[in-house]
Amino acid sequence: MIHRNLPMCQAVLKHHQLLPLLPRFNIKLGFGEKNVEEVCRLNRVNTDFFLEIANAYLDEDYIPQTDLSLFPIGSVVAYLTSTHDYYLHIALPKIESKISRLLEGSNLSEKERGLVAGFFDDYKKEFLDHISREEDSVLPYILELEKQSMKEEPDSGFLRSLQNDTIKEFAQEHDRLENSLENLSKLIIKYLPPFEDFDLCHQVLTDLSDLVRDLVDHAHMEDKILVPRVIELEQQLTRKFNAG
Amino acid sequence: MKQVNFILAVESYLVRKGMAVVLQRIPGASVVKEFGSVDLLTRYLEHHGMDFLIISDTLFANATDLYMNNPALLERTILLNRDPSAEDRGKKTRGCISLSEEKEEIISKINELLNPYFRDYRANTHGSLTDREKTIVRLLSMGLTNRQIADRLFLSTHTVTTHRKNIIHKLGIKSVSGLTVYAIVNNIITIDEVTSKHER
Repeated sequence: MIHRNLPMCQAVLKHHQLLPLLPRFNIKLGFGEKNVEEVCRLNRVNTDFFLEIANAYLDEDYIPQTDLSLFPIGSVVAYLTSTHDYYLHIALPKIESKISRLLEGSNLSEKERGLVAGFFDDYKKEFLDHISREEDSVLPYILELEKQSMKEEPDSGFLRSLQNDTIKEFAQEHDRLENSLENLSKLIIKYLPPFEDFDLCHQVLTDLSDLVRDLVDHAHMEDKILVPRVIELEQQLTRKFNAG
Repeated sequence: MKQVNFILAVESYLVRKGMAVVLQRIPGASVVKEFGSVDLLTRYLEHHGMDFLIISDTLFANATDLYMNNPALLERTILLNRDPSAEDRGKKTRGCISLSEEKEEIISKINELLNPYFRDYRANTHGSLTDREKTIVRLLSMGLTNRQIADRLFLSTHTVTTHRKNIIHKLGIKSVSGLTVYAIVNNIITIDEVTSKHER
């Protein structure tokens, strides 16, 4: 577990899994002697929020120390958005290019190659769809919800739209994006003929499993922190509206 | 997915946190609040709802007033016993867990409690395709169109479309290529039987 007084350098050296989190908070390396709190303050990151995310990321049995409802929804949404960027611009392209190199140098039949390449193409499309739906409708709705809930008199138009259960639908249809990816790893490990370039194959499998883990964590954030917060805000607003 | 809210009322910090860790392992279960005393618990319950209360035998013994004023609470109470032979001593709680139980036993007991909440959800999740749906996934992997599948199985295309929607809902996989890989790794079809895109 990491805490606010730990030198950031030590935290990252000991838990290199934290590395992909840093850019999501816009934190850069070169920490010097600064501790976690100082680095967060310097980068205008809420230290408690960073600690909760980092510790939950490191240990799936970690129990939040801070009341998660205290964090402004805006910082949660900002974190989720930069995580999406990471998936789209770093994680997926990295895997894609390794897979295509792996297929090029392999003895796989045309059919087997098509299977893997087609799978990844379509997976990427579905992933993009999911993320753009989230960014175009769900996240703006949530930010608006927070804004309206701070007003004395929320817009009546917005209040009417509350009846639409936007967030419940979102939580229900929450795609199981990671299950599908695990199928690809199984296909490689169990069913396809072995690849000549084991090292590259190893990298692909490792990248896939890192991404799956990250996606599970991401979905966990959305389901356990964001959705309950949003439901709470929706209920508050509805009560206020009905009372007024 | 639906969330079932638990409250923990246990005087021992370590036991409370331990219980919270176990609950975190269970999909759908969420610990909304933890208490170390009956006073705070009582005050909280005056204003808030929850699905289940896990309470230690010691605090339970101190909570007679709480239960007297709110008899329906028993139905939502799970007793945490120090003494494994204690069972619920005819207290008519929903269930009981003993401190000496293993993780798996505790998880399976709690899952049983959650079942009614998730019946629809679980029936609809991964791994539970019906035989008819498996057949359809198989035919899709072989490159057949909805129309061809309908003809082959003597169904209307409308019925095939409905099956496909249900499959998407259960697996969260939309594309034929995704379903094909699913079918292979779940032994619904072999790679040899699959028709690749360029053969179609």
